[in-house]
Amino acid sequence: MARLGLNLMKCPADFWEEPTLLMTRRHAMLASTGALLGTTPFARPALAESGPILIGWLAALTGPSSAPAIGFDRGVRFAADEINAAGGVKGRKVEIVTRDTQGDPTKAVNAVQDMIGRQKVNSIWGPTNSGEALATTAVMARAKMPNMHPCVVDTLIDPAKYPNAFRIAPSNGQWDDAVRNYCLNVLKVKEVAVVGDTTGYGVSAVAASVAAFKKDGANVVYQAQIDATQPDVTPDMLRMKNAGAKVLVVWSVATGMEARLMNERATLGWDAPIIGHPALGSGDVRQLLEKPANWDKVYMAGYASCSYDANGKLPPRTADFVARLAGKVSLQDSSLWWVAAGYDAVKLVTDAVNATGSSTSEAIIGYWNGLRDYPGMFGTYTWTPQQHNGYPTKEVVMSQANSQKDGAFKLAPGYA
Amino acid sequence: MRSRLPALPYLLIFAAAAALPLAGDDYIVLIATRAAVYWVLVSGLNLVVGFGGQLAIGWVSLLTIGAYTTSVFVARGWLGALPALVVAALAGAVAGAIVGLPALRLRTFYFAMATLGFATIVTQVALAWTGVTGGGIGIAGPTLPAPLDTQMGFYLFCLALAALCTWMTLNVAASRFGRALVGLRDAEVATEAMGVSKSRLLMTVFLFSGALAAVAGGLFATLQSYITPDAFTFDLSVLFFIAILIGGRGSILGPLLGTILLTILPELAAPLVAWSTFLYAALLLVIVIVLPGGIADLLDQRRRRKLPENRQIVPRPELVASLITRQVDRPALIISGLHLSFGGVRAIDGLDLELRPGEVHGLIGPNGSGKTTTLNVISGFYQPQEGGVRVGDAPLSGGPQTRAALGIARTFQTPRAIGEASVIENVMIGGTVEGRASFAETVLALPRHWSDEKTLRTQAERCLRIIGIEALADERADRLQHSELRFMEIARALMLCPSFLLLDEPAAGLSPDEITRLGALIKAIRAAGCGVLLVEHHVDLIFDVCDRVTVLNLGRELAAGTPSEIRAHKEVVSAYLGG
Amino acid sequence: MFSSILWTGLAIGAIYALIAVTYNVMFSASRVMSFTAGQVGMLGGVIGAWLILRLHMPIIIGFPLTLLGCAAVGVLTEIVAVRPVIAGLEKHLYVLSTLALALMMQQFTAIEWSTEPQPFPRIVGAGFALDEKFWLPLLACAAVIVGLELLYRHTLVGRAFLAIAEDNYAARALGLPERGLRIASFALAGAIAGLAGFAGGQLLLASIANGPMLNFYGFVPVALGGLGNNRGAIVSGLLLGVFQQAANFLFGGVFVSVAVFAAFIVVLMAAPQGLFGAAPTRRV
Repeated sequence: MARLGLNLMKCPADFWEEPTLLMTRRHAMLASTGALLGTTPFARPALAESGPILIGWLAALTGPSSAPAIGFDRGVRFAADEINAAGGVKGRKVEIVTRDTQGDPTKAVNAVQDMIGRQKVNSIWGPTNSGEALATTAVMARAKMPNMHPCVVDTLIDPAKYPNAFRIAPSNGQWDDAVRNYCLNVLKVKEVAVVGDTTGYGVSAVAASVAAFKKDGANVVYQAQIDATQPDVTPDMLRMKNAGAKVLVVWSVATGMEARLMNERATLGWDAPIIGHPALGSGDVRQLLEKPANWDKVYMAGYASCSYDANGKLPPRTADFVARLAGKVSLQDSSLWWVAAGYDAVKLVTDAVNATGSSTSEAIIGYWNGLRDYPGMFGTYTWTPQQHNGYPTKEVVMSQANSQKDGAFKLAPGYA
Repeated sequence: MRSRLPALPYLLIFAAAAALPLAGDDYIVLIATRAAVYWVLVSGLNLVVGFGGQLAIGWVSLLTIGAYTTSVFVARGWLGALPALVVAALAGAVAGAIVGLPALRLRTFYFAMATLGFATIVTQVALAWTGVTGGGIGIAGPTLPAPLDTQMGFYLFCLALAALCTWMTLNVAASRFGRALVGLRDAEVATEAMGVSKSRLLMTVFLFSGALAAVAGGLFATLQSYITPDAFTFDLSVLFFIAILIGGRGSILGPLLGTILLTILPELAAPLVAWSTFLYAALLLVIVIVLPGGIADLLDQRRRRKLPENRQIVPRPELVASLITRQVDRPALIISGLHLSFGGVRAIDGLDLELRPGEVHGLIGPNGSGKTTTLNVISGFYQPQEGGVRVGDAPLSGGPQTRAALGIARTFQTPRAIGEASVIENVMIGGTVEGRASFAETVLALPRHWSDEKTLRTQAERCLRIIGIEALADERADRLQHSELRFMEIARALMLCPSFLLLDEPAAGLSPDEITRLGALIKAIRAAGCGVLLVEHHVDLIFDVCDRVTVLNLGRELAAGTPSEIRAHKEVVSAYLGG
Repeated sequence: MFSSILWTGLAIGAIYALIAVTYNVMFSASRVMSFTAGQVGMLGGVIGAWLILRLHMPIIIGFPLTLLGCAAVGVLTEIVAVRPVIAGLEKHLYVLSTLALALMMQQFTAIEWSTEPQPFPRIVGAGFALDEKFWLPLLACAAVIVGLELLYRHTLVGRAFLAIAEDNYAARALGLPERGLRIASFALAGAIAGLAGFAGGQLLLASIANGPMLNFYGFVPVALGGLGNNRGAIVSGLLLGVFQQAANFLFGGVFVSVAVFAAFIVVLMAAPQGLFGAAPTRRV
């Protein structure tokens, strides 16, 4: 903490060699390209324990659904720069080895092999996309590569099969629990309609959600997949309304479709709440709304660390973090939790090296397995050798979509 | 397309590939494994796209089917990994035939669109059929039995399969099937006239390619260790397609190099991955405009060889008898009461004609009188509204590909040849129906395939010697002069030892010397017992070689008789010959 | 419920119909089917959104500029992907060159614009019983139909277009400037596609995903209506739009494309020249 305090006193200009101070989405790609060009395409020689700490970053920076990776990327770079400016870890600099996988599992597998075999990274953060993670998990497990990732698919984490893989974000099951909990216990509604898009995630998330709702005694009056490019959702909305749904649960990253649902809800004059996937609160959705009021009564899975309380304040740790980000990282068109998670991902590696004095895979994995209530920016993590889902369920909250300010949200009504 | 390929480039490539593990770099081995798996698919697709000219852009659908079939069978415990690959191959063959079926009816662009639609459907099914495919979550890929489950072991397995596919497709390329495929691509009408059944050949190739693609799918699933529907992107389909076009059509080596190049390229340009598809597309555009023949064209030495100047075509009519010997008292080809209309236009308005073996029958008349149309009816390209054609008592029916079996061969008004193939390969297509080896025997290079090739080649050499252009046997056909192409068509027609030879204006564009030699050749063919129907405008040639002449005007017979009768016929003189 | 399906179907169908007309106009001028037709449609929406929302141009300026931009892209198609190919003997190469160009357009837009759908401005504003996002495409479609009729029947340029389409050699022999007319045709085709994308912008949003989607769904009316047949294309397009929305209602999102494609294949295999198409010409 003292070290952080010291940083605040330095002139911001000292931290950065690049002329652009504010990293916005447009420049994220260029900046990462710049970083990439610095990466050698050839194999590195085996590094002694004294060289830089190499963190591989498998990012879907371009291609569809790149918003999360771009957000994570900002946090990653900020953390690396902050640490290096303070002298690194035990004299060793942090170096991020980024490969843009475009959300393609084939490219992800190639990139992982490159990072493991040639770049010889000490640990890997990512991939950001479940389809990629499903393919790369086995490769990393074979190489015993310490891996931290934010992907939500439940089967990705298995301490027995993949002792090297850790999850930093909630699993889809945890999201689902928070949403269902809010619906049944706070909104006190039992008639639900569950929809998703037609991607892999949408199909599986809806299936899991419906099963869990039914198990808890809710009445799923409607369930469907909606093609993200479908221009008019009136028939679907009408059917949901006519079936008696009192709340609409949405599992999708397709911001276009989500905006259409909200717009249509307003056109129909239907006031059922829309709850579900965090993407419901993204800036992309806001842009596509016909009226700002269409964003009312939309609640999505969020995080206690990135939520404003009744007084409009973030939790102290996050507030401090946001203050440090000011002027260096833009939060206007991104979400705070992405930046925070990316930051934590880097810190978890450097703290491991700091604590154990070693950057071997055993050291890092062993350190992570021993963490209890680690105070990250994004969450308070606990990992054990038997439990590699580190995000505490109680920190998954429901946020109010139309309260987005600087990438963070107000808690949805009904939360203490 | 060349029949005697030096094996050297292939040996070099595969030897280098086999030595890769020695570098000790897992990443390089992974990329090389991927290239090998892609090549298994591309080698089959190459036959469809490169040789067959069918633009199957959505072929990734077969990769998907193969990947899921293998994975499901192994995950459910129904079969081991290797037998599952075999099952996948069968599924791929069936799927390949289904995807290929529209190719028989639809034109190029429509077929391309249809394959894209098919690829979408397969992905949607994979996504929706959660119970079997795992839906969006996907399914674990198969693991092969030891020692193939290590990275090295798997790599060498894929490399071996890639080598096998290279060998198999090389066999097909240098066979009557490969030549006929290219013939259908570049000269469909002529190739059908030589007896090649487009639907049968294309379906066979689609079955084979589908099987290979599905096997590649199973290997892909093993490589990825886990498959989800989003791994089978449109980009991948385009990659396969571009690899073939960059490599060059009608080549095996070119697409092999193309596949290797396109697998390695994104890795070399990793920082530019966002632009990778853009660069592929730009590369494709450049190739299409600047070098449509692709890498294969660059490597083709025959383009650059200097051809001797002042070439003469000197046929050897005396050799015809050794090729064709027909009894003269066989049935004639008889056209009776033929009526053919195109919409409101009466192309043939009642025609009777008899073509006897051992006779040259001339068919003359003004332009538009129905001469070529008559030939096309005999060939089976048009079905008459009334009347018909028969050989003896047996009426001719069915499409053009049935005529070759009846010993009917023809040439065309404009030479229809395959430009990038050599002269001898063009001629060998003429004998396609005589081949005995089945497609499977060809793929596996069984003895009947070799004896077929030997027979066809020997026969083609004989035909070329008869025509007198044997010196040009190995030159690309598109380098030949117009007259040489005309004679080459005759050589191609002679491959069948035809009972009836239909010649459509063979003297057009020939020099007076060449016309004289052509006449001698036709006479020799007649003497060998073949019945020749000669459509011509060069009346000197007609009156020189013909035994009988029919004059057409406005689709109807104006006069018929011996040449001297026709020459004196008043109406013929005024309508056509001029006084 | 039904009125919603009907109006959405007709609106979407009108967009498909216009893209089909784009394909037809490009084909008439060059005997070439171009993969860029749908991409230019996508650009109509993207350029419109960019000019009006990002650069804050008034619609009265932004709209014509969008059409000009798309016409320019049409001409680009002609110069880069069509002209070099039809000069040669290998006619099939146009599939590859136009595919390559279409991919380049799509990727470039994805990187420079966005991979997510972006908002499209309101054109007229509220105040009608039926929302403008439904009747704008239909209005555009009607305008194009009327415009093309006037062009082909009452102007010299239009009749020259028809001449080139019907018999290329004869037209050239008469002295018609083939190349200039072809460029003009592609510019016209680009403008029509741009109009489709612009009019449909609120319905489809400005998204790069529209490119391949319009390519395929804009092609289906061409195939069903008969190549080069604009009337058949428009009727088929409107029918397709309604069919698609009905199928969506009945089967749900995942299977709509399967239903459309299956119907497409079945109809084509039965009638390869399309439902309204002409019989094949002689090939020998």
